[in-house]
Amino acid sequence: MAENIKILVVDDEPIVIRSAKRILGAEGYDVEGASGGREAIIMMEKKNYDLVLTDLKMPEVDGITLMRWIRKSRPETGIVVITGYPSQETIKEALELGIIDYVPKPFTPAVLLDVTHRALEWMKGKIPEEEIPKEEFPPSMISELDRVIKEYKNKPGSTIPVLQRAQEIVGYLPPIIQKRIARGLNVSTADVHSIVSFYSFFSMKPRGEHIVKVCLGTACYVKGIEAVVTKLKAELKIEMGGITDDKRFSMESVRCLGACGLAPVMVIDQDTHGTLEPKKVAQILDEYRPVSKETT
Amino acid sequence: MKKSRTNLMVCAGSGCVGAKSLKVKNALQEELKKWKLEDEVTVVLSGCAGVCTRGPIITVYPEEIFYENIKIEDVSFLVEEHFLKGRPVEKFMYKEPVERLAIPRMSEIPFFKHQVLRVLRNKGLIDPDKIEEYIARDGYSAAAKALTEMTPEEIIKVVKDSGIRGRGGAGFPVGVKWEVCAKMDSGQKYMLCNGSAAIKDGDRALMESDPHEIIEGMIIGARAIGATKGYIYVRTDYTIAVERLQKAIDQATEAGLLGEDILGSGFNFDLQVFRGGGAFICGESTALIHSIEGKRGTPRLIPPRSAEAGLWGKPTILNNVETLANIPLVIINGADWFKSLGTDDSPGTKVFALTGSINNTGFVEVPLGIPIRQILTDIGGGVPGAKRGRKFKAVHIGGPTGGSLPESLLDMPLTFDDIEKAGAVMGSGGMVFMDDNSCMVAMAKFFLEFNADESCGKCVPCRVGTKIMRDMLIAITEGRGREQDINALQEISYDLIVGSMCGFGQMAPNPVLTTIKYFREEYDSHIRDKWCRTGMCRELATFYIDERICKGCGVCLRACPTKAIIGEKKKPHKIIQELCLHCKTCYDACKFRTIRVLPFSAREASETELAELAEAIAPVVAVKKTEKAEKMEEVE
Amino acid sequence: MARLTIDDLKKIKEKQKAAFTLRQGGQRAKVTVHMGTCGIAAGARDVMTTVMDEIANANVEDVIVTTSGCAGLCSREPMITVEIVNEPPIKYCDLNATKVKEIFKEHIMGGKPVEKYALVLGSETTY
Repeated sequence: MAENIKILVVDDEPIVIRSAKRILGAEGYDVEGASGGREAIIMMEKKNYDLVLTDLKMPEVDGITLMRWIRKSRPETGIVVITGYPSQETIKEALELGIIDYVPKPFTPAVLLDVTHRALEWMKGKIPEEEIPKEEFPPSMISELDRVIKEYKNKPGSTIPVLQRAQEIVGYLPPIIQKRIARGLNVSTADVHSIVSFYSFFSMKPRGEHIVKVCLGTACYVKGIEAVVTKLKAELKIEMGGITDDKRFSMESVRCLGACGLAPVMVIDQDTHGTLEPKKVAQILDEYRPVSKETT
Repeated sequence: MKKSRTNLMVCAGSGCVGAKSLKVKNALQEELKKWKLEDEVTVVLSGCAGVCTRGPIITVYPEEIFYENIKIEDVSFLVEEHFLKGRPVEKFMYKEPVERLAIPRMSEIPFFKHQVLRVLRNKGLIDPDKIEEYIARDGYSAAAKALTEMTPEEIIKVVKDSGIRGRGGAGFPVGVKWEVCAKMDSGQKYMLCNGSAAIKDGDRALMESDPHEIIEGMIIGARAIGATKGYIYVRTDYTIAVERLQKAIDQATEAGLLGEDILGSGFNFDLQVFRGGGAFICGESTALIHSIEGKRGTPRLIPPRSAEAGLWGKPTILNNVETLANIPLVIINGADWFKSLGTDDSPGTKVFALTGSINNTGFVEVPLGIPIRQILTDIGGGVPGAKRGRKFKAVHIGGPTGGSLPESLLDMPLTFDDIEKAGAVMGSGGMVFMDDNSCMVAMAKFFLEFNADESCGKCVPCRVGTKIMRDMLIAITEGRGREQDINALQEISYDLIVGSMCGFGQMAPNPVLTTIKYFREEYDSHIRDKWCRTGMCRELATFYIDERICKGCGVCLRACPTKAIIGEKKKPHKIIQELCLHCKTCYDACKFRTIRVLPFSAREASETELAELAEAIAPVVAVKKTEKAEKMEEVE
Repeated sequence: MARLTIDDLKKIKEKQKAAFTLRQGGQRAKVTVHMGTCGIAAGARDVMTTVMDEIANANVEDVIVTTSGCAGLCSREPMITVEIVNEPPIKYCDLNATKVKEIFKEHIMGGKPVEKYALVLGSETTY
């Protein structure tokens, strides 16, 4: 999809152009660079670009001047600002000139790609509905998610509550769900991702039918949870945070389940199993395996 | 006047007076006069006997006979029988069925006896889901007083005079903080409650058992500083706390105790629960504020203090759950009452959560300044297995950023400053007790694993330092430690203390520094002798059955997961070192304490060398002696 | 609930205090199940259901069940407090369904405390 899309990167720092070329080039975009506003204008007079990524502070012809020229002479070209000095003034002026987005410097490849991709989609006049696989996320689930997003939209500080509700609805927060939330709340995917990856409550991996939560609180440690964990890993053949091949179990660690009186403790789904010993582990897990259901 | 042979105490508690005890007293005196017994039997009024439902109560001394439910018409019969004829009247005696049973009273159980319940006064007593029950226990009367009878300045003065210090961390005086915020000239201010503690503790118990107490504290605080909006920040996975707080807020709002024009005072205050995402760092004030703003919970540089520029840049007060729960009591009872317990610098009570190797785990409220030993032995009931020779080794105070203190500090008074001087922190009041089966190096490793995981990553010394320290500690516990590591750990700790922006980074090395300070010999033993004497560090231990003591009961043989133990019944068993996983299962299984933890190098040793080593750490004579003593104990 | 005034607070307090003392509430016995995180983890919900079932089975109406927060002694959960009118409350600990049934039969219905499961006599009322 990136084919035939021409992007011009304008920056007086050659390294920015180099890295943009490398990052966006790898995705198949046709990327060229200009070291300043004057050079950019000369290039744009010769050739049409779909998108211009430009720095603001540049010697001679600066970003704002360049953008004014683009608005007047090449109104169909999209503009994204890259800057390390986002002062209120310049951003306001840039916004008035109709920029699509801005990338703060320094940027990571993911952010640059994300912003570029969104800018191009925006220019197409719509943000595409990424195909959400129906078998994994049934439409009823998605409409519930959308309802929550709508409920919180435009409220300050709503990202975390929405993500919590989303995880309750979907079970986990894969990138596709994060993107939907970001779009719905009108924040960047990067912002959403930065929150999901920061708080331990959020999970980006699917979870098993039964969730084994092992308490790694101090009391449980003193009372020997480590041996239980070793046994669990061996029984389930997964690491902490993993999910079994049959998707029956996933194992997570929590800092304290608040049942220190029963240490060491694990919780499977809603059931607390206390005063654990490694030798009890297999038997407890069996209770959650279908074999035992048939026999009972 | 003749010295009276008998004293008759008539209860004059309000319950008994209500049941006409004063009239009974008069009747008694008259009846005694009739029989000319007034000189022999003195009648006095006493304070409440505590069994008000059965009044009037009369106690006869020195026999200590307890009469209940005495009516005026009973008096003449009683006097005639008991005082004239000397026959106590059974039918009037206090029939307390349980008295005959072997159920101790609260005052007889040290766990309850040594506690002073202030903030926990309603625990286990009221239904947290019913606002009426809280009101019945004087709930919201402090808020009523603060809103209608006091000016914000007066509220702040009482709180300041009480000397109450923030219960969540370093113990900053609450009133001083409030004053700063109250003086800020700003349209919008916020009142926040920090319920984000990462370990099981009293805060969580408070939120679960008495949510209205916290709400009331917040209303008073909000009034004092002039805030009209507030949040209670709770970890999402504290499901019950979240549910109960939400319900309590809904009820309070419906009752007009939150929202607009509270109790007709014209004061408005909106309160919401904010569910945090489960990051330890969000216990730090600026990180918590960022989290409510919907951002990553990373701290920022102070100043400006939150009291000047906090949530969304507005003046904000953040107090911890327990601090706020104390506020209504301070308002109702005054500053002097609050200071009547605790020490001059650390007044009041503190809730501690007891866990680990201690008989009574749970949460308790005690006056500040009591020695740790009292918590360990009286309230906590000592170390489990003390009869089998288990001994107290350390108490870790203050969670993952706290410190471990040794037995020599057990008599230290529990105050903010003493704890800090010893290298730990009051924090949220978590107390983990450890017995001699716990390896202190492994504990330090455990805490640093946690801290390395929870460092938010903003300051390099903390982000990188915690990880280097963690890796060093892992190396030491796995036998790859070097002599210079101890110095290096201390140096990096120093870098963290000076180079981190927030309290988390500054306190993250505490577990390492305290274990090095107080348990240095364990580090040396791990590094130099490759020997973890507790056997907790698998790679630094060889398990050996002391053949001279082993009775051949076979328990260890059956417990061993790898079948590394051989031996015939009733003959000493033996561990085949090649098969041994060092899982310590046999050690825990053995009832006769015959299994020794020897240095790693002992794996190669000959039988005689092993026996010598075993004798060196646990001489057989001594072992047999304790066994004998134990048997005696059992017989007793 | 309507919006409260300060007078209402006092009224509720008086009314509710009366309900606390059983004899004025018209109840004969009160069972408080301690439902903190620890208690629930240790099986307080089972205890609760058992008490409810027993009350239903015995078809009694003068026994009320209420919940409260943790009693503080996590190592002995699940716990309940049984209060019979005119008797001091008794806390039971380390409970399960079988023990609760026994307590219900012996203590709540029969008025005879079950010594072997009892932890302590009395209730925390310290101010």
